[in-house]
Amino acid sequence: MSQNGLPDQRYRLVVLGDGGVGKSALTLQYVQRNFLEYHDPTIEDAYIQRTTIDGQPCLLNILDTAGQAEFTAMREQYMRGGEGFIICYSIADKHSFLEAEEYRKLILKVRADDKVPVILVGNKIDLEDQRRVSTEDGAALANKFNCKFIETSAADRRHVDEAFQILVREIRNHQQGDDQTKEHEISRWKKLWSSIVKKTKRKRRH
Amino acid sequence: MAPQLVRTLSAQFTDTFLKRSESSLNSMVDLRCISKYPWRFGEVNFKQPTWRYWGEEKCPGAIYTVYLKKVRYHSPSKSIINVSGGESDDDISHLEWETVRVRFIKAGSLEKLVGSLASEVGELESTYVNVFLATYRTFASPKQVLNLLLERYDELRNPNSPMREAMRDQNRKTLRQSIHVWLDQYPEDFQEPPNYPCLTQLESFTSRVMPDSELDQKVHRKGDLIRRSAKGGPHCSNAAGSTLKCSPLINQLLSTSTMPTAPEFNVKSPPSASNGKGYHHPQYHYTNLIPSRHPSAGNLTTTNHGIIPPYSDFLEIPETIFAQQLTRMDYELFKRVIPHQCLGSVWSRRDKGRDRDCVSVVATVEQFNAVCYRVISAILMEPEAKSSARAKIISKWVDIAQELRVLKNFSSLKAIISGLQTNPVYRLKKAWSHLPRDKLETFEELARIFSEDNNALAQRELLVREGTARFADTVGENDHHLQKVLQKHSENSRAISYGTIPYLGTFLTDLTMIDTAIPDTTEGLINFDKRRKEFEVLAQIKLLQGAAKAYHIDGQPRFSQWWDSVLVLDEREAFELSCQIEPNLNSGISGGGSAASKDNKYKRKANSLGGFHRKNDSIASTGSSSASSQLTGEHAEQQPSMCQSASSSDILSQSDPMPDHQQSRNGARSKSHSALSSASSNSSLPSMDASLASSGNNTTSKSEPLGASTPLKGSSASTKSLGDHGSESKATSRSMSKTSVASSGSATDSPYRTSEFYIIRVSIEEAGPETEGVIMYKSIMIGNHEKTKEVIRSAMMKHGLEGSPENYTLSQVLPDKELLIPEKANVYYAISTQHDLNFTLREKSEDLNTVGGTVSRDSLGLGGEGTPRGSRRPPRDNSKARRKLLGLVL
Repeated sequence: MSQNGLPDQRYRLVVLGDGGVGKSALTLQYVQRNFLEYHDPTIEDAYIQRTTIDGQPCLLNILDTAGQAEFTAMREQYMRGGEGFIICYSIADKHSFLEAEEYRKLILKVRADDKVPVILVGNKIDLEDQRRVSTEDGAALANKFNCKFIETSAADRRHVDEAFQILVREIRNHQQGDDQTKEHEISRWKKLWSSIVKKTKRKRRH
Repeated sequence: MAPQLVRTLSAQFTDTFLKRSESSLNSMVDLRCISKYPWRFGEVNFKQPTWRYWGEEKCPGAIYTVYLKKVRYHSPSKSIINVSGGESDDDISHLEWETVRVRFIKAGSLEKLVGSLASEVGELESTYVNVFLATYRTFASPKQVLNLLLERYDELRNPNSPMREAMRDQNRKTLRQSIHVWLDQYPEDFQEPPNYPCLTQLESFTSRVMPDSELDQKVHRKGDLIRRSAKGGPHCSNAAGSTLKCSPLINQLLSTSTMPTAPEFNVKSPPSASNGKGYHHPQYHYTNLIPSRHPSAGNLTTTNHGIIPPYSDFLEIPETIFAQQLTRMDYELFKRVIPHQCLGSVWSRRDKGRDRDCVSVVATVEQFNAVCYRVISAILMEPEAKSSARAKIISKWVDIAQELRVLKNFSSLKAIISGLQTNPVYRLKKAWSHLPRDKLETFEELARIFSEDNNALAQRELLVREGTARFADTVGENDHHLQKVLQKHSENSRAISYGTIPYLGTFLTDLTMIDTAIPDTTEGLINFDKRRKEFEVLAQIKLLQGAAKAYHIDGQPRFSQWWDSVLVLDEREAFELSCQIEPNLNSGISGGGSAASKDNKYKRKANSLGGFHRKNDSIASTGSSSASSQLTGEHAEQQPSMCQSASSSDILSQSDPMPDHQQSRNGARSKSHSALSSASSNSSLPSMDASLASSGNNTTSKSEPLGASTPLKGSSASTKSLGDHGSESKATSRSMSKTSVASSGSATDSPYRTSEFYIIRVSIEEAGPETEGVIMYKSIMIGNHEKTKEVIRSAMMKHGLEGSPENYTLSQVLPDKELLIPEKANVYYAISTQHDLNFTLREKSEDLNTVGGTVSRDSLGLGGEGTPRGSRRPPRDNSKARRKLLGLVL
């Protein structure tokens, strides 16, 4: 994804979630930044956001295919491309919460990598009186996913930036950790290998 | 960038359109107005030099944006002057330019918005009319708008009004024109059976106020059509046909999704050995979004029976025909798309169950998914096939996609590209590695069109350039293959012009985003600027719909019958099947040299064993099994696993809403079942070994936690082996041995059991060193009168064993023990149907009753949850194989 000549790190983020959870609002709120400025969502750089997170500049390319959820066969295609995922549900909609889990499963299937950076986002906390999914439930699911969790309100623009920042941090951690885990894995395999050799030897002796 | 594109697009469209609309009788007021005022199309272009933003103007109930526009008057052309008089330019004086004040309503009350249909001088604001009519449903009902129009008309008839007579005339004319446009473009607004309140109101109004006028006649004429079309008459007008409900073709298309009503046709005799493509099945399903309300839909297809037999095989259909027929289906749906049903507030905010509000969009989406799933299914349907055969199918789809590109059918093109990129297909590295290089390049070329980079810029630009062009001609620098194809086409049939069918999803996303980004109201007034922005997108759809009329493709019953009859796997089935074809070696690697050589090694070995199945003794096992699950009318998703969803003939007869002739074929089906299960009688490696293999591979590429790698683990408590790799015998990767007992429920839900006979799978316990832990299952059918000896004999034959059946014993492998079948038993009754029908054939000699999990599977602490039945394989072989695998991996 990285382009030559651009010093920035480039990350491709994919926003997932059931229809009606406000994921398009979340995306737009983040890329729109200044509310007074009219944002045209149909232009080519509509979902590119240059930003600085933890002192490091980066270019975020956000993919949100709101409105295309019914084209089911395409989801996996989107999932293949992302470096990080925002899985979004509405705290006022239990079903969307259940769907979140499905999205996570699908990512696992497509990526075959349970460490792919994901953040679970419970949106619409402005609708506190209509809440159907408790914060605890959200946190528990995130725990199950082994990912970060945040509740947001795209309408009130609360925690929107944070959600994206956390995800970018996760991606960075993941990328740094990659080399280490690789070595770790190899050593694990070596151990396993030797244990097998030992066992088979033992068996032969018997 | 995009606004300019839109404008260019509109200008292009309009040109082509004007040419077309002259010959056609369709009223295209909106399109003409776009050409007249291209700058007003949607949002005002602030950058245009002749326009200057002046400010906002507010009055009660409305906010206007005011611009100053510089109007340049062109001098008469020089040549004319020279010819006519020879005078120099300076002799003619004329006004070069002047500044005009133009205002647009930015936001307003409904009354003001309706009032704005007429300009300040009472003329029809033709762009405005179109924006208004395309979008008003987001803020008002047809009834409200009609009331306001008619009230205003009445006001203007009042001679006591302060307005001058001429002005009132002009304003009334404008209102009449607006109603004309409304009736022409959106007749579905008046489609309100049974009472048609708006239509009735309009009819009585025109009869009263302007009897026998042009409008009055039109209202009555249209009214008749609308009422008639609602009765479902087959010859409804094009206009009223846009309601989708009465279109026979769409009924036909939709009927394929209403399972019980769609008739079964062309159940073929089992394919011959030469024609092993057996995924041809009478039924399919895909997620049905539209409730079935076409009970009569089946008639159409049944009448098509006979004469030319439908295509029996995917590869048999020429790709040009395939692409054309897809385009025909897409066109029929696309022309019926009601643009305002795509609006974000309609489409993305719709509640579940309110699909009726956007049925025309839903139909398009369904067709898209239907194509996708057919791509996936066609590729996976034959688990037995070699990777090269599978590559052939992929290659065929690429060819079809290329044809679709030439036809400019971006909807099905994207569907095929997406289908090829879905996980179950994409992960088949081996199949892809057999794809010829040029096909792969073509595929990548086509996939580039739909790159999501820069907000799908590539696709948008292509649409702008080719939207109304007569044929595809945009060739990127790297699109070598398209160049070639276009060249070929230009030699043959350049004379044919094509329409364009866009991928609707991009528009839907745009509209959803616009809906989110721009508020509905500003300062308590309806934000009309938002509607202008939405109209930019809607107009593109409309213009492309017009352009699509250039398609002239006749339907081909042979194709549509094939299309309807093809079996379609659902997502879960597809994934599980895919994992059986190429067990998960993790996405990162494989495909490479090491994996391939490993394969060859084992292939050779397997061949030397001579025990592996050849393709021709099997018929797309899973294919037919899930076919029957479709027949039961159940959504396979509800079923725990693919194999479980497969059904036996007793299930078949249970499912009641089935056409008679279907039931009568149960016998035939049972036969195919036996074939089916013999197909699944291949070798399977203990799952543990495979999980080792797969996770082992991980280390070479990407970090992967141990054991989390096999896809089976999570979802597949009940995955069964269909042993699909026989002919390829990729021993290393064969992991799909049955992993659990979960599926062993009642006798009815197993694919291997039917009412009069069972299909059992028999493995052979051999001490021979050459087997190395490879367990080969052969399926055999046992009837209700077969004795142990006979069963053993047929199992021996299957396994190519010689000798006397007396020297062998047969035991059923149960989760925790083995059940020895007594020598003189009737096997049919002796076996335990509570469990899976897996058996071991063992030479009598020594301790036959060694039972139990002696295997070292657990000692490894790996894949423990995978196989509860370690007893099937000799431990020694196991470890050997494992070592071998590890040796290859590490």
